[in-house]
This record gives sequence, structure tokens and C-alpha cells, in this order.
Amino acid sequence: MKRAEFIERLSKKLKEFDVADLDEIISEYEEHFVCKLADGYSEEEIAARLGAPEALALQFAEEAREKGPKGAKALAIAGLAFMDIFAGCFFALLYAFSAALAAFAAASAAAGICLLCGFNPYSLLPPMPYWCGAIMALSVMALAVLAGTGLVYYLLFVRQLVKAYGRCRRNLLASASGKAPLPPAASHPRLGARLGRRLRSIALISLTVFAVCFAAGFAACAVSAGALGFWHAWRWFVQ
Amino acid sequence: MNIQYKKGVLELCVLAMLYREDCYGYVISESISRKIDISDGTVYPILRKLKSDGLVTTYLSEESGGPPRKYYKLTELGRQAYFKEKGEWLGFIRTVEKMLEDNNNEES
Repeated sequence: MKRAEFIERLSKKLKEFDVADLDEIISEYEEHFVCKLADGYSEEEIAARLGAPEALALQFAEEAREKGPKGAKALAIAGLAFMDIFAGCFFALLYAFSAALAAFAAASAAAGICLLCGFNPYSLLPPMPYWCGAIMALSVMALAVLAGTGLVYYLLFVRQLVKAYGRCRRNLLASASGKAPLPPAASHPRLGARLGRRLRSIALISLTVFAVCFAAGFAACAVSAGALGFWHAWRWFVQ
Repeated sequence: MNIQYKKGVLELCVLAMLYREDCYGYVISESISRKIDISDGTVYPILRKLKSDGLVTTYLSEESGGPPRKYYKLTELGRQAYFKEKGEWLGFIRTVEKMLEDNNNEES
């Protein structure tokens, strides 16, 4: 195939596909021929290495089609902006809960340490014999560990949720502008086998320690107060 | 290699070349098709797409004696796209490499 034939077949196909800026495209290939001829190739060789003009025209046409109508993208952006407001509030709420969880874990740990050390700042902790307090201290510290583990998992979960939302958002935009969508992100965190196992066993152990120590502490309090409702005997809720 | 996949990578290759210096179409086509097995003509539709996406612009420049040539130049948007796609690509091949390495360790 000679240069003239290549250019002719290319421009015919481009016209058929209704591709814009035909002259610009053609002049680019003309220039290619000129440069390559100067490098010592024959016109046939050059045309053969360029590839079939029909296939090239199809590539130009596909690229133009991918753009799609402009209105669709603007509409998608407006819709997404609206959706973002709600999603943003929702995620802010979810993150705020993690702060509450963290505060709970910190408070539990602090209460446990105070009970163990026999230290009662501002008489915040209800009075009880030291040994009962020590058992209760173990239980609240286990509760702190449990809450901490829960916090870690919860944060990973929310982060994954944000990621999944971002992916969904990106795909909506991509489909509006004719780009290829990515596969959706998983909605639960993937921790990896080792971290997942570790978190699970920490949670289970701390839950068990909490339950056992709480029951034991309750029993110890009841025995030492001589009443099942030891909080009445020790006048906990009376000013 | 998957053709759709290759197209994305070719875009990145073109961006990488233009990041280094402004080039005219022929130079890009030549140096890419010399290294990657594609027909010479494939680069031009990609250049056109990059231009219509606003990642590159063109200008005419006369060389000594020769006819004016259409040079391609990366826009600011194009530079950002280059860094972003480069990072994505490097992260991706690192993951693939890691998976292949894991296989190698199991096989040996």
C-alpha cells in the first residue's frame, strides 16, 4: 500500500465515523510518512508498520465516543454533591461514635488503675473493700481492652466503608463520562489472617476475663457486705 | 497483553516521555513502538485523546530548514495526571511482583 492509498482509506473511514478535526489527523500521518521516508523506509513499509487505516480510524472514533454527552457528567456531579452531604454527615456521626468508644475505653482503664492503686480522686469511685475493688479493677481493665479492640476494628470498618463509598462515587462518575468502572470495594475490612486472628483472640480473652472477674467481684462484694445488694449496704447511691 | 489494559499503559508511557521534554508525534511513535510491540500508528489516537482530555497541548515549532512541526507539551493537568498514574502503576506492579514472588518461594 502506498502513502496516497493509506491516507485515502484513513480519511474515508474517519469521515464515515464522523470524527472531528479530520485534517489535523491526516496531517499528523502525512508528517509521519515524511519523517520515516527521510529515515530511509519505503512507503509500503511505512504503511504496513502504521497498521490498518480502518483499525486506526476506529481508534479515533472510539476515543471520541468515550467522551459521551457533556450534560450527563454535569448531572452526575450535581447528584453526587447532594449525596456527599448526606454521606458526609453519616460518616461524621460514625467517626464521632469512635471518639465515644475511645473515651469509654480510657475511662475504664483509668477506673481500673485507680481501684488497683487504692486511689480515689474526688471520691468518684464508690467505696468498697480493697480486695473486692482489686477484682473489679481487673474486670474493668479487661473491659477497656475489649473496648480498645472494638475501637480498632470499628475504625477499620468505617475506613473501609468510606473507601467503598469513594469507589462507588468514582464509578458513577466514570459511567457518566464513559470510562471503564473499577470493581467495587469490599464493604468490610480485610485485616489479613494474622491480624484478624489476633484481634479475635484478644477480644475473646478480654471478654472472658471481664465476665469472670465481674462475677467474682460481685460475689466478693456480696460476701463482704453480707447482702446480695451490697450497694445498699455500702450506701453507694445515697448522698 | 489485554488490549484495553495496554492502552492505559501506553497513555502513561506517552505522558512519561512528554514529562521529560516536548516532542513531536513522530518521535513519540518511534520510541514507543520500538520498545513496545504495537503498530506505529497507534500512538496518534492516544495523543489525540490526551489532547482532548486537556493533558497535553500542541504548538508549532520550526526546525532549522525543515517544515514546522507540531510539538506536544504536557499541561499542568497533564503533569498531575502523570504523577497520579505513575504512582498507581508502580503500586500495582509492586503488588503483582509480590504475588509472583510468593509463588516462586512456594515452588522452590
